Amino acid sequence: MKQTLIVFVQDEPGVLSRISSHIRKRNFNIESLVAGRTEKKGITRMTVVLNEPDKTKQQFVVNSLKQLIDVYDVIDATEIDSFIREYALVKVAVNEDGKDEVIKIIEQVHCNVIDGNEDAMILELTGYEKEVESAIKALEKYEVLEIVRSGEMAMVAGNFVAHKPELTKSELNWSTSRILESF
Amino acid sequence: MNKRKLSGAEIIWECIIREGVDVVFGYPGGTILPTYDALNKYKDKVHHVLTRHEQGATHMADGYARASGKVGVAMATSGPGATNMITGMATAMMDSSPIVCITGQVSSSVIGSDAFQEIDITGAAIPVTKHSYLVMDIDELAPTIREAFYVARTGRPGPVLIDIPKDIQNDSIDYIYPEDELILPGYHPPEDISEDYISKFATMVNQAEKPVILAGHGVLLSNACIEVMELAEKSSIPITTTLLGIGGVPDSHPLVLGMMGMHGESWANHAIQDADLLIACGMRFDDRVTGNLKTYSPNSKKIHIEIDPSEINKNVKVDLAIHADLGTVLRHVNPHIIKLDRKKWLDIISGWHHDSKRRDILNIKSDKLLGAQVIRKIWEGTKGDALIISDVGQHQMLEAQYYKHDDPRTLLTSGGLGTMGFSLPAAIGASFHEKDREIWVIVGDGSIQMTIMELGTAMQENANINIAIINNGYLGMVRQWQQMFYDSRYAETPISSPNYVKLAEAYGMNGYRVDSLENVIPTMEKVRKNSGPSLIEFKVEEHEIVYPMVPAGADLHEMIQRPWDEVNNNGQKQEKEKVK
Repeated sequence: MKQTLIVFVQDEPGVLSRISSHIRKRNFNIESLVAGRTEKKGITRMTVVLNEPDKTKQQFVVNSLKQLIDVYDVIDATEIDSFIREYALVKVAVNEDGKDEVIKIIEQVHCNVIDGNEDAMILELTGYEKEVESAIKALEKYEVLEIVRSGEMAMVAGNFVAHKPELTKSELNWSTSRILESF
Repeated sequence: MNKRKLSGAEIIWECIIREGVDVVFGYPGGTILPTYDALNKYKDKVHHVLTRHEQGATHMADGYARASGKVGVAMATSGPGATNMITGMATAMMDSSPIVCITGQVSSSVIGSDAFQEIDITGAAIPVTKHSYLVMDIDELAPTIREAFYVARTGRPGPVLIDIPKDIQNDSIDYIYPEDELILPGYHPPEDISEDYISKFATMVNQAEKPVILAGHGVLLSNACIEVMELAEKSSIPITTTLLGIGGVPDSHPLVLGMMGMHGESWANHAIQDADLLIACGMRFDDRVTGNLKTYSPNSKKIHIEIDPSEINKNVKVDLAIHADLGTVLRHVNPHIIKLDRKKWLDIISGWHHDSKRRDILNIKSDKLLGAQVIRKIWEGTKGDALIISDVGQHQMLEAQYYKHDDPRTLLTSGGLGTMGFSLPAAIGASFHEKDREIWVIVGDGSIQMTIMELGTAMQENANINIAIINNGYLGMVRQWQQMFYDSRYAETPISSPNYVKLAEAYGMNGYRVDSLENVIPTMEKVRKNSGPSLIEFKVEEHEIVYPMVPAGADLHEMIQRPWDEVNNNGQKQEKEKVK
């Protein structure tokens, strides 16, 4: 079973290599990793998908990531109700005859055509990883020229505030001010 | 607070002096030159030890940290200076030793251009440090150094690297030392946690019939020696230690069984396998202490008190995990422990004890000097009161078995990483803290040759250390494995040595050679009269084997014991096949 982690880290040079190096050091495989800015300046949020079925080891990777100084918090989204989505762009070669069929598939799998001419179309797919996967499968009947996938992103359902890093806001000081002033 | 205009280089010294540092181990070079230039202004406050290799500097800082409990500081230049520190940082990482390594870096404007002596040490250090910093702005310098020391010494201690480009050292600003409370949002050393565990802990101990305490390095790091003994004595629980836990509990105490694990005492391993409760105190169930995990202490419940939550349930599943400072936990629990004498359990252990004592190598009358005898004599000669720094290999295990440590922080050794060459530099580092204690380096002929150049440092600093080289002409532990598991096919394990006596003399120190048991103590007496470093080479039996031994991956109770015929023949060992 896959394990999906939400990792909040300090936004600074090299933090991505710290996270990926640590996961590699602990002998886990990264299936996908998405990183980006968040609503708070100074914090980068990552969604890391690991391919580790063993529950004990899953717990170990969470605990050991938390030991890194740059990591504010780690949430195991596998354990709690959360939305996990993926985004993909697919470029399909089309000819006049096949065009109608491609459009039929497009209607079935809820994707957008973001570019198209006589020769090729770029389709935009979003959804559960499985949805994206099956849409790509369906499109494979046609000549798929290129695929780019984002990897999965996760957000905890409901009262998500409970699942954010707890930062001490009471006593601002020099070391944390550069992070906290953005809150 | 007065503002002063200071250079980055001066800020480095100001900050480390603020951290209480009075000795730094290092080696100058191109990109750290500004900092060494500024050292001239701080010479009355900080003593700098010029090492012969940057690896030596890190081991010295490590040895100093282990002996003192304070943060050790090592300094080097960029490129090769920095990469030479990696082994030392990894050693400190595996053994939770607080050191701060400061490296120069090429100027920030040329970082990334493969400039002369440029290496991405901040990146290279990621897997071998608790954290690594690259300071790209002089405003960040003082806060970063302060943060680095805080991270190194708190929680589970460890090495921290600070990489400082040359232009940052040359730049200057109005310097104010940051005085506010330090809070790192991503770093939470455990605080005094809830006390829910107390009654469960106490009940488990009070109901157990065959409990064993496993005392690890955490006993020393948490200064919990008294608390652990209180728990043991109150409830009559036998204690066995890990290699790094030695000294945390007094070896001469009747409840202390000695070391556990691969070369641990057989009765200690039997006690673990037979126990119904293991109380793991600041240890991490390393593969060298557990043997085969599937059959490890199969009938016991397990309590694990550990400061690093990622160690809990990593190797061994436990029934009660307490993520907190060991001393604090035991202070809470001990009042709830019932007094018990556990006579039955202790009698069973004594039975095992008696059996294996008969196989002891010290019962053998050998015509050649044995490594184990040398170490036992050093113990007698120093009345068990010396600070011992052992290296890695057979002599390290013999030291753990035959030198009885009664005081905390009297044995320093590279346990987790098993770094050959650790002992000599670590002893030099430790000598800056233990100025009045007798210090002995116990080292093999293989290990000493890995960092032998630090004899020069020992002389230059007139370090008060005694070096005992246990010379058996082999990389003994590797040879032992080849003998036992590779049908005595010795591949590259015979090793030649220089004439150590002449070598010592070349360095300007007193050197001695001993090849008989009678001469051990008299030579030690001579050495003790010398001030500064001395060296003794002990020529010992070549084919000595460290028993008992749990082969890697075997069950912990399946120890290979010394064969009876070796003991009964009283040293008339069959002539081993000589190797060309």
